[in-house]
Formats: sequence, C-alpha cells, structure tokens
Amino acid sequence: MRVLLVDPDSARAALVVEGLAGVHPLEVRHVATFDQREAAAFAADVVVVAADSPDRDTIESLREATSANPRPVVMFVDRSEPGLGEEAILAGVSAYVVDGLSKARVRSVLEVAMSRFSLMNQLRQDLEKAKADLASRKTVERAKALLMKERGLDEEAAYRLLRKLSMDTGRPLGAVANDLLAFAGVLKGTKDG
Amino acid sequence: MVEAGRLKLGFIALNDAAPMIVADALGYFAEEGLQAELSRQVSWATMRDKLSVGALDGAHMLAPTALATSIGAGAPEPTPLVAPLALNLNGPAVTLSSRLAGVVGDDGSADGLARLVARRRQEGASPITLAVVFPFSIHNYLLRDWLARSGLDPDRDVRLTVAPPARMTGLLVDGVVEGFCVTEPWDTAAVVAGAGVIAVRGGRIWPRTPDKVFAVAEACAAADPPRLQALLRAMIRAAAWCDAPDNRAALAEILSRPHYVGAEARVIARSLGDIVYDADGAGQPLPVHAAWLLAQMMRWGHIPPDTDIAAVARRVYRPDLYAQAAASLGMSTPAPTDSLVGYGANGAFSLADARGEALHAPLSRVSQD
Repeated sequence: MRVLLVDPDSARAALVVEGLAGVHPLEVRHVATFDQREAAAFAADVVVVAADSPDRDTIESLREATSANPRPVVMFVDRSEPGLGEEAILAGVSAYVVDGLSKARVRSVLEVAMSRFSLMNQLRQDLEKAKADLASRKTVERAKALLMKERGLDEEAAYRLLRKLSMDTGRPLGAVANDLLAFAGVLKGTKDG
Repeated sequence: MVEAGRLKLGFIALNDAAPMIVADALGYFAEEGLQAELSRQVSWATMRDKLSVGALDGAHMLAPTALATSIGAGAPEPTPLVAPLALNLNGPAVTLSSRLAGVVGDDGSADGLARLVARRRQEGASPITLAVVFPFSIHNYLLRDWLARSGLDPDRDVRLTVAPPARMTGLLVDGVVEGFCVTEPWDTAAVVAGAGVIAVRGGRIWPRTPDKVFAVAEACAAADPPRLQALLRAMIRAAAWCDAPDNRAALAEILSRPHYVGAEARVIARSLGDIVYDADGAGQPLPVHAAWLLAQMMRWGHIPPDTDIAAVARRVYRPDLYAQAAASLGMSTPAPTDSLVGYGANGAFSLADARGEALHAPLSRVSQD
C-alpha cells in the first residue's frame, strides 16, 4: 500500500511517517505541498492530508477520473463505523482513498495518523508549558533580586514575601512577580522623568 | 440574555469575511454579550467538516458549499445548514495572466479567450488551465457560465483546477495556471504584482453576484435562537460599518492585519471598489440566489437532477432570521425578492424557473428525455 502524506508541518509528518513505517508493509511519502503530477507519479492508494493544509481543497476536487487524474480520489467514508470520520476531523486529519481499497487497511493507516497528530499536539502543548514555566521562573528570580536590593532582604525572605503576596491575592507567583517588576519599572520611569 | 460559552467562528482570509472580522476587531460580538473567537481556516473542505462535527459554531462559507453540504453533495453525509446572513455581494473577479492581456475585451465577455482556445487547439498546444477555489464555489459556477456564454465548454475546452486563493498569484507567475476566478483581494494582488489583468468583475456576469454566506448547523440555530440573533446583530452592524465610505480606509487596515486577511493594506484598499456588504439589503440571504446557484449546480451535473431546488433554497436560506435581527437593530428590510434581473437567457430569473434554467441553459448536462 502506498501512502502519500500531505502536511506542511514537517516535524509532525516525521512522527506520522515513523508511526506508519513501524507497523505496516507500506511505502510512505511526505510532501509539504501537493503537486498533482508528482502525486500521480507516486500512484498513492491513500492520501492522508492535514486539516491545516491549504492543499485539501485541491485534493478534494480530484474526485472524478480525468486524463490528468486517471485514478480518482474518493473521500474516506465509512458509514459502517460511525464516529471515525468525526474523530479524524477533530484530530485534524483527513484521508482520501484512491479506488476501492480494503476498509480495514485504510482504517489502520488513519488510526496511526490520528494518534500521531494527537501526540504532536500534546508535545507542542508540553513545550509551550515548559517555556511558560521557564519564563515564570526567570521573572520570579528577577523580582526576588529587586526585593533584596530595594528592601534589603535576604533571598529566603524575599521569596517568602513574594509567596505571601501570591497567597493574599490568589494569583500565581509568576504573575505577582511580573506585576512587581512592572510597577518598579513605572516608578523608576517617574523618578527618571 | 445570551447563554454563556465560547463560540468558535471559522473564516478564510478574504475581503468578504469582513463582517465577521470587523465584528471581532471592533468588539461588536462582546457588546452582544458573546464570547466569540475567530479561527482562521486554510481550506473550505476543513471549514465544512468542522462545522459538520460541531468543531466550529459558525462559518464563513461559499454559498454553493452551504447548499451542497445541506443535501449531502460532495460530502460524506448531509449536514443541514442554514444561512441566515449573506456576507457580501460582488466579491469575485476573473483574472487572466498578463501574457493573455490581449484577449481581454471591453465587453467583459470571454470571446477573445474563445478565439485563443481555438487557435491553440489548431496549433496542437496544451489547453488553457484556469483555477477556482473549490468545486462547490461561486467562482466555479461564475467562471463556467462566463465561458459557456462564449461557446466554451468548461469541461472540454479548458482545464479547470482548484487552488487556494492566496496562492493564485504565484501559480500565475509560474505559468501553472493562466487565469483564475477568486474573491478579492487576490485578483488585485495579482494585478499589483504585475502578473495578471482583471478580465471581468463578477458583477458584470451576474449583477450583484451572490458570494459568501454565514452558515451555522440547522440544529444549532434551532437550539439557541437568541444566541444566533445576537451573532447576526453583531455582524449586521459590522457590515453596515464596512459599507460606510468613510470607513473603507480603516477597513483596509483592519483586514490587512496578519491574523485576519494578511495582505498589504494598499492592495486591500484598491480591491474594495466593487464589494457590497450591507447596502440595499445586501445582507439578506435571498432564496432566489440559492435557487440560481442550485440551478447552476444541476446544470453542470454536480447535484442530482431530481433535487427539489425551491425546497432546498428555502430551507437553507433564511431571510426571516436576518429580518428579525435587522428589525431589532431598528433597520427595515425589504421583502425578499423572488426574481433576479440580468440572470439567465431572458435576463430575468425567478425562483420558480430554477429547474427550467438547469435544463435549458447552454451545455446543460441534464438529460431531457
């Protein structure tokens, strides 16, 4: 089985390709943008498209067999398994099947793609969170240093003060530290001006 | 008054998303008590799918896609949609490669193109490739009718392909396509880039060309009518704001922002000349527009020949929902017209004529036996 993966996100595509290669005897090709001639030459049995690929509309238009598109692309529909299409849309994947291929095989390809798309989503969210945590930690360090300098506190006392402010206002430590730095900047600006 | 909960509205980077974009940018959704979040999509197929499964609560949609989706044409399952608002009229244009500028005549017809096609055929050259944005698009049907009027068969005499709007200029420059029909600002973008010439504006082919609608799932519309009314009020106010001549420069600036349309403000400003958002009842979703489009879809064999056009048109297009929202804003709406001047062989098309139009239009694919 030959699978053409159209995905502008190359990191995500790499995950999908790796996932497919491990499980099935199939040939997978990834392209960032869809080219009809290239796709025809590859002779895909299944075209898996990221929902955020602008090429989806072009692929969708290749429903009818023409001289330019001798193997028509049929949208993946499986009424016997309700929910699969919906799940795929929510996961950000769509699949097009070329000329009657066994449903079970298509399903397995789609499931791998869906799980890898979800995995990538999770990884991206984790990365965002890690970045935000790091930024927050840096802010707290700077706010602590400011308190130590302006109020003559030691590090431990500066941290306790920040934590008390956080608990009193019911706001995260990073947010309190951020406000403190912003106010300090404003006050400093006033003094300078 | 309005139920809490975030609403996700999908749009595509085009000038005709302006009523949604402006309602967002100027805070009209918030003033209606709505927490509406715009979500930019990059394909019409994904827009349709997300609306169908409820991942979007409302969508900027090609009128023919809203109709096709409702009856299950080109979609896995029919998802009944309603269009309670027309987002604009006069959005699209036909643009040809600058290399073909010689075939563009003053009369706005495709006669020059037809002569070129004949000459190329004699020379044994490859056919002209023209792009539209989606199979079920106003652009596909407008271009087909324009070609057919000059005797060109859109399925035989030229090659029609589908490409994303923002990529059209690049395809023209690279010679992959020699023309396209797309909604602004992507026609003007090709002209500004020196790649294309506008052969004809949509309004010269079909006066006050219907284009995009705001679509929601019929089930959602029925589940929470006050929320839909609040959405409509916000967008009708935005559409009126967009049409005020004094606001056009500000509109171009808003649309040009990277998270909205993201084209240059000077290009967008130049491309807003024809589009109408609100004036003279432009926001009314007219069932006769739906009927005209369904007739075109039937004419070219894209929907079953036994489709009950009038029933589908009246179920999907809902001028009553529009009128209710407009009235609550103190705006009066004329009764929806059932006829279109300048459409069809007789120069007048009425809702009752739809089937006849599909059967008797030149090159109709509906067999008449």
